[in-house]
Amino acid sequence: MKRRAVLAGGAGLVLAGLGSARAAAPDPVSGKLSIWLGYGETAPAYRLAEPAFKQMYPNIQIELLSFDLHEYEAKLAVAVPTGNGPDILTLHDYIFPHYYDSDSLDTVPADLVADINNPKIVDPVFTRILTREGKPWGMPWWKGSRALFYNLDHFKEAGLAGPPKTMKEMWEFSEKLVKKAPDGTLTRAGITLRLTEGSGGLQKFSDMYYEMTGVQILETGPKPGTVRVTLKDNLDAAAQLLLDYVEHLHGPKKVDDWALKHDAQGFANGAASMLMREDWVVAFVRKNGPDIRFGTAPVPRGKAWGNFNFIEILSVNKDSKLKKPAWDLIRLLQEQKYLDNVLTESGWVPLRMDRDFSGFLSKNPEYKAFLEPIEGYVPWIEAPDTAYVEATSRTGDVILAAFRDASLLNNPDGARKVILKAQDVAVDILKNSDIYAP
Amino acid sequence: MSGATQHLAAAPFARRSQLRRSWAQMRRNHIGFVVCALGPILALFVLIRIYPILETIRLSFYNYNITQRRNPFVGLSNYIRLFDDDPFRTALLNTIGFSVLSVIVTLALALTIAILLRSIEHTAATFELLFYIPVVIPWVPAAVIWKWIYDPAYGALNYVLSGFGVARLGWLQEPTLILYAIVLVSVWKLVGYFIVIYGVGLRSIPEELLEAASLDGATAWQKVVHIVLPLMRPIILFTVVTCTIICFNVFAPVYVLTASSQGAPAYDFKVVVGEIYQNGFVFYHMGYAGAQCVVVLLFVMSLLAVQFLAFREK
Repeated sequence: MKRRAVLAGGAGLVLAGLGSARAAAPDPVSGKLSIWLGYGETAPAYRLAEPAFKQMYPNIQIELLSFDLHEYEAKLAVAVPTGNGPDILTLHDYIFPHYYDSDSLDTVPADLVADINNPKIVDPVFTRILTREGKPWGMPWWKGSRALFYNLDHFKEAGLAGPPKTMKEMWEFSEKLVKKAPDGTLTRAGITLRLTEGSGGLQKFSDMYYEMTGVQILETGPKPGTVRVTLKDNLDAAAQLLLDYVEHLHGPKKVDDWALKHDAQGFANGAASMLMREDWVVAFVRKNGPDIRFGTAPVPRGKAWGNFNFIEILSVNKDSKLKKPAWDLIRLLQEQKYLDNVLTESGWVPLRMDRDFSGFLSKNPEYKAFLEPIEGYVPWIEAPDTAYVEATSRTGDVILAAFRDASLLNNPDGARKVILKAQDVAVDILKNSDIYAP
Repeated sequence: MSGATQHLAAAPFARRSQLRRSWAQMRRNHIGFVVCALGPILALFVLIRIYPILETIRLSFYNYNITQRRNPFVGLSNYIRLFDDDPFRTALLNTIGFSVLSVIVTLALALTIAILLRSIEHTAATFELLFYIPVVIPWVPAAVIWKWIYDPAYGALNYVLSGFGVARLGWLQEPTLILYAIVLVSVWKLVGYFIVIYGVGLRSIPEELLEAASLDGATAWQKVVHIVLPLMRPIILFTVVTCTIICFNVFAPVYVLTASSQGAPAYDFKVVVGEIYQNGFVFYHMGYAGAQCVVVLLFVMSLLAVQFLAFREK
């Protein structure tokens, strides 16, 4: 009896083993899983996940194609509606509505939906962006957020103990940090402002506008997909911000000049003392300005306090023939080692709050402002908007042209006129795209 | 040989003579020959030139967005919208300004150099080759080189000018300077091509005419004005038309010179083709971009018609 039971048990174990071996057997499905990237620096994470993915799907090749961001967006926009797009869509929050509205996205599997809707895993600020009628349409993966970069040596030289905490301090510090040649030309910017390229220029202006008003220039409207323009509602604050820019680009308080090296490059070669930019700048400055000692700090506060974020969302193309493998790869990419890879290789911060990046932070303290949660510091994200690029580019053109206009110095009426014109331009574009919310 | 075998042997000869007859008939029938000879080329021309133009005209009446499934017919509203489009107006004015300056400077310089090179005929070919080098450099690397030359802080141009006490200039940053900076790049790139064209034209002027003028006591200037320019009229017309079309289509150098993602930001100098590109491929408003194309096409065609009238043989 005993012997029979042992044999039966042994047979049961063998069968169970066979069963589990059958369950873990590689999927015979074959093909090419295509992924296009606008941020090619995240490609190593996909490559790292490839061996584990191959164990599940030995007959599927992962095909990774990286493009320049704008080229990527254009290619995706043309390919997906015609059924020729990649299997996995790496969507940024601002282009996400195009693909949701055109019914191009596959339904997210239930286990991933549970993760996305768990506020301990994904911040609801980001979940809201990709949710329509209660359903998320992709897995948020990493985020880019803005912080203030400051040059430690320039600060020491100017006798400044630490980074500015308020917008007012930021302008004052920039006046102390600026350097001029004997003939009066600027040789170092106190802060490098974004002065060109409509869309990017408006984004950076909008950062400060948020601190001054607590709202974005283009806010989500009451109906999903609609957008309202807030400039007119905050006319005085917006005009004051424009006056601050003009005052610091012309006249005695000038802290920046178009002829200087700008942006991350300007900061990396010591031509600027402060810069408001995203996480990727850390790696950029380390590579291009190895002698630059710098720190990062939260964006200075005004009436409100928060920082701009943008996210990358992993969705699956509804026309894909490899939907299950695509979701399995997305699931795999949520594991700690692949998220670590995204962070170390690209500098973009993984969105999952249930993963631990403290080891990385202790080795890379420059990421402090991007990785550490700060009480009262609100992450905000731009309104999903199918006319995003056009609205920000054209509205930005109006604001950026005003930066060059020295006649706006101490001219609040002129500044208000510019802001109202910017409001009209944005409203027209949103109306033409049928997404305007009054 | 049986009758059937004889018939089989005669068949290839019969076919050959039939072919010969057809060929002779086709040669007689000139239209048929032209159609056969040019047909494939014309078909290709229609496919890659005429069809896209017609399709662009058709799209200009639709609110066609490549990311949308619903692209309704909107009649003339794309054209009406153009009247209120500030960026398009700015781009059109910039392009006209750029084209006028570029065409005048390029062609005047090319003609002057070509005439001067005639006085050193034995080495003219070497100089023509040197002037031609920028023509074969693609626009993008050429623009990147110039972007460095124009760099306000590290550029060669400001460095040279500083030797003469000129303060730092933002060639690509100042709205007042950028037009001239782009014209300079364009002239540098195109002048070699037109020197060669004018060189060919000048060589075809009969030497006896110039010698006779010299014997009559004509000065060099008088020879240029009264002999060279009138005889060069067809070539000048060709160069004016070609140069105008090239300049009106300017995009790559402006795009590269003003790209401002990093480093030295440049002034956003709008040109017509850039606007069309932005509306079509950045904002995805293909219908609206189509309307802009049609307007530009009509504008350039009218300009060319005026040029043909101005340069026509009296």
